[in-house]
Amino acid sequence: MSARYDAIVVGGGHNGLVAAAYLARAGRKTLVLERRPVLGGAAVTEEVFPGFKFSVFSYVVSLLRPEIIRDLELPRHGLQILPLESTVTPLDNGDYLASWADPDETRRELCRHSPRDADAAVVFGRLMHHMAMAVKPILGMVPPDPASLSPSDLAGLLKLGRHFRSLGPERFHALHKLMTMSSADYLDEWFEFDPLKATKSASGIIGTFLGPRSPGSAYVLLHHYMGEIDGAFRAWGFHKGGTGAISEAIARAARAHGAETRTGAAVERVLVRNGRATGVALASGEEIGASIVVSGLDPRLTFTRLVDPKDLPEALVDGVRRYKFRGSSGKVNLALAGLPDFTCLPGAGPHLRGAVSISPSLEYLERAYDDAKYGEFSRHPYMDIVLPSMIDPEMAPPGKHVMSVFVQYAPYHLNGGWTPTRREAFGDAVVKTLARYAPNIESLILHRQVLTPDDIERITGLSEGNIFQGELALQQLFFLRPVPEWAKYRTPIHGYWQCGAGTHPGGGIMGASGRLAALQILRSAA
Amino acid sequence: MTSAAHDVVVIGAGANGLVAAARLGQAGLRTLLIEREEGLGGQGRLVELAPGFRAAPLGLDPGWAPAAIARALRLDGLERHGADTALTVVVEPGLLLTLPRDAGKASEAIRTYSPNDAGKWPAFTTLLSKLAGFLEVLYQTPAPDVSASSPGDLLPMLGLLRKFRALGRRDMIEFLRTLPLSVWELLDDWFEHAPLKAAVAAGGVQDHRQGPRSGGTGFVLLHHLVGAPAGSVRGRPPWRAGPAAFTEAAARAAKRLGVTVRTGAEVSRIDVRNDRVAGVVLKNGEEIAAGAVLSTADPATTLLDWVDPVWLDPEFLHAVGNIRHRGCTGVVTYALEALPELPGLASKEALAGLVSLTPSLTSLERAADAAKYGRVSESPHVEFTVPTLLWPDLAPAGKHVLVARAQYAPYWLRDGATWDATRRDALAGSVTAAIEAAAPCFQSRIAHRTTWSPLDLEERYGLREGAPSQGELGLDQILFMRPVPGWGRHATPISGLYLGGAGTHPGPGILGGPGWLAAQRLLQDRGRR
Repeated sequence: MSARYDAIVVGGGHNGLVAAAYLARAGRKTLVLERRPVLGGAAVTEEVFPGFKFSVFSYVVSLLRPEIIRDLELPRHGLQILPLESTVTPLDNGDYLASWADPDETRRELCRHSPRDADAAVVFGRLMHHMAMAVKPILGMVPPDPASLSPSDLAGLLKLGRHFRSLGPERFHALHKLMTMSSADYLDEWFEFDPLKATKSASGIIGTFLGPRSPGSAYVLLHHYMGEIDGAFRAWGFHKGGTGAISEAIARAARAHGAETRTGAAVERVLVRNGRATGVALASGEEIGASIVVSGLDPRLTFTRLVDPKDLPEALVDGVRRYKFRGSSGKVNLALAGLPDFTCLPGAGPHLRGAVSISPSLEYLERAYDDAKYGEFSRHPYMDIVLPSMIDPEMAPPGKHVMSVFVQYAPYHLNGGWTPTRREAFGDAVVKTLARYAPNIESLILHRQVLTPDDIERITGLSEGNIFQGELALQQLFFLRPVPEWAKYRTPIHGYWQCGAGTHPGGGIMGASGRLAALQILRSAA
Repeated sequence: MTSAAHDVVVIGAGANGLVAAARLGQAGLRTLLIEREEGLGGQGRLVELAPGFRAAPLGLDPGWAPAAIARALRLDGLERHGADTALTVVVEPGLLLTLPRDAGKASEAIRTYSPNDAGKWPAFTTLLSKLAGFLEVLYQTPAPDVSASSPGDLLPMLGLLRKFRALGRRDMIEFLRTLPLSVWELLDDWFEHAPLKAAVAAGGVQDHRQGPRSGGTGFVLLHHLVGAPAGSVRGRPPWRAGPAAFTEAAARAAKRLGVTVRTGAEVSRIDVRNDRVAGVVLKNGEEIAAGAVLSTADPATTLLDWVDPVWLDPEFLHAVGNIRHRGCTGVVTYALEALPELPGLASKEALAGLVSLTPSLTSLERAADAAKYGRVSESPHVEFTVPTLLWPDLAPAGKHVLVARAQYAPYWLRDGATWDATRRDALAGSVTAAIEAAAPCFQSRIAHRTTWSPLDLEERYGLREGAPSQGELGLDQILFMRPVPGWGRHATPISGLYLGGAGTHPGPGILGGPGWLAAQRLLQDRGRR
């Protein structure tokens, strides 16, 4: 079989597409193979119900690296991010806590609850900004191996050391705390108003199997603070046409550079001869040759499904076995006949153009976590709600709306396993909890799509339904992601590479893994 | 105040205060050691429970004394007990698993329950020893100074790096990976037998308000294994001479080296003048002048309660105020008419080791859940030991003492509730019930019972929030972050005031470790002056 392509990318998720675009841009004849009929992996827009379009899984964007937007000229290919300006947390006493696009307005709002916190929030915001800036260079760097003595690793470590020293002791210590503390403990040092702490710490638990009181959650908080749109930090956005349109823009960029994309093409396995990747075999039996194969799938699939683990070193296979997925979130997509009416802010106000966070207290979140710890979905889950049709009317028929509800916790390993009945019970728990804050919701629902971690795994392939291709826990980050010694996108099989979110820096619609992998591939070939 | 009669006042006569004072006396400083209680020994001191019955309620783990300190101060009588009775876990009433330190023998014991786990045990204990061994190196030197800029300061860092690399590639990565890990994940990676996992994991949450599923408990497990002999999974072997052997030896050394010791002397405040320490003032109003003060009380008490805030920068005070203590352990001691009988126990010697009554990680985690919400666990994790098997003179002939530790019993209770007699009795009741479940007729042998809630530990031992750690062993509160970021080397912003208690590097259980390093720092600063 002759090599028809220089590179084949397995999986048309956003990281795979980014990698393909960079490879094609460097003149490599590149093919992307996607199992599903749509490109995008977990960043897809689908018309789930006639006339109602949903960002089925991933629903907001903030982490997409600016260098990728620049290098691939994504705006020219259709990238159009609309700001998501507010977050409103309904409180149990009928009041609410809001943050708005205008900092002064947010300050006045915070003052209403706690003048002390309003002051602290200014300093806190500045510190988090600096912290995000401090971490930013690391997001764009191939993790050096601290146990290696090779000149490139030593140079990388030195560079890292210098970077940390340049932060100065105060920021270095703050970073150390963020990397090791729980988000609740970290926020306790700053704030007193519990719903504020809860809402802020909610971003520290998204996608992980941690509660706000679990150490390690402060890092996830920071990870979500690193969002950046047009240089503005902590800016969350919604993509016109849903997150699938981001994948489309990246795919168009890749095609413009000559890459080919094929959907409905499930890769069965990677062909390996004499320790070298030679192409892929599709489920249809077709074989396609290539001198480089890049897997955008998660580490479990990359190392134990696409290739025979027997061809891999034992330490690597063992590391992949220990690597934690533990999907913890679900998604409920609702097609609505009208707008929800929140008791705390009645009517169709500006709050419906932003996010609504169901996180009334730290204890509420922690109890939601407790349910999941013991194998149940949260009776009263944390929810992050957006109404994309409020920002982009084309997502729903006129006068109607789509509502995206990110829900946590829904453990992949549910006691007794996920069944259709349990899935609907989970959906009911979500709607019922929502109805506590927006009583008219039940009467508005035209259609309901409930996605459990089990569904996410089945549809997207993400192991255990983990949206980050593996938990963002300290022991699974940087040179440990996914596995020590194999954190530089390379694999022990010659010409076989990894580029998914299971590699550094991982998680969110960031694209950094795909870019770094492509750059490593190009460097190794040069 | 006239000319000072002392060069240094050391506050607190626990292991750290005694070691610090002895070191300063050895260096020729006129050293005064003051202690609030009448007896020496701090957490390690023996307490009379009932006429003829004595115990060290906080001495369940005797701790590790760095050999270099013992050698330098010529501490004597520090042999360990030879009995190899490490850890027993009650699988279910009547069924026990005893794990000796000898990995081969432990492996045999495990085989009955899980051949898989038995096969992995030796490799697991070897790994723990290796990883704890690196901490052992870290704990004998001042905390690495991450903001160091002079080559002189960087050299020790390079030395550490070299030792770190000497661990070998895989173990080094394993070390970095294990610190942030939860003991739950660590043990799930290795074993399948629930009681075995729970018995080991309890070391990762010892005096820690988090449960076994919490990140960083991997580090706590290793911390409590520093200096333990190979094969250990929980704590260090007891001293031959008695539970208080270390502090007794340190007290002898301090006296030999010319330290003046005053007991019953409670500090009211630390006198500061022009950013310099001038001495201490006692509760009775007495002023003691000294050019330097080394406090082994916890950093928060020392800096927040004893120093006038005008001398400290608000940000520094904020950081000190943020130190997490969160005591969560209660202790119940029993004076017994006879030894408890645990059906299934191979030899009564096992009772001289640690006996853990929690059969699974889930029950351990559930016990921790209560503390999260400010409640006392109704089924706390209980572990106990019977010290009279090793030291019969702690009780009248034929009688025994049992010391039980119960977790979680948080200092901070929900809705402003306090540790009153009812709560204390309820805790003791659930501990007694847990022991009774494993040892029928236990209750009928109790002659006397004493309960220490975290509030009692605070009042009786001066432990803030009842935390023996003087500051939770979170990854954000160790090394150069202990007690507060950037002040990991025992000095404070007040010239002449030093911190040397467990709340400073290298932390609790390292007998005299913090005190020694603080004294060294003080001497170094004096030399420079």
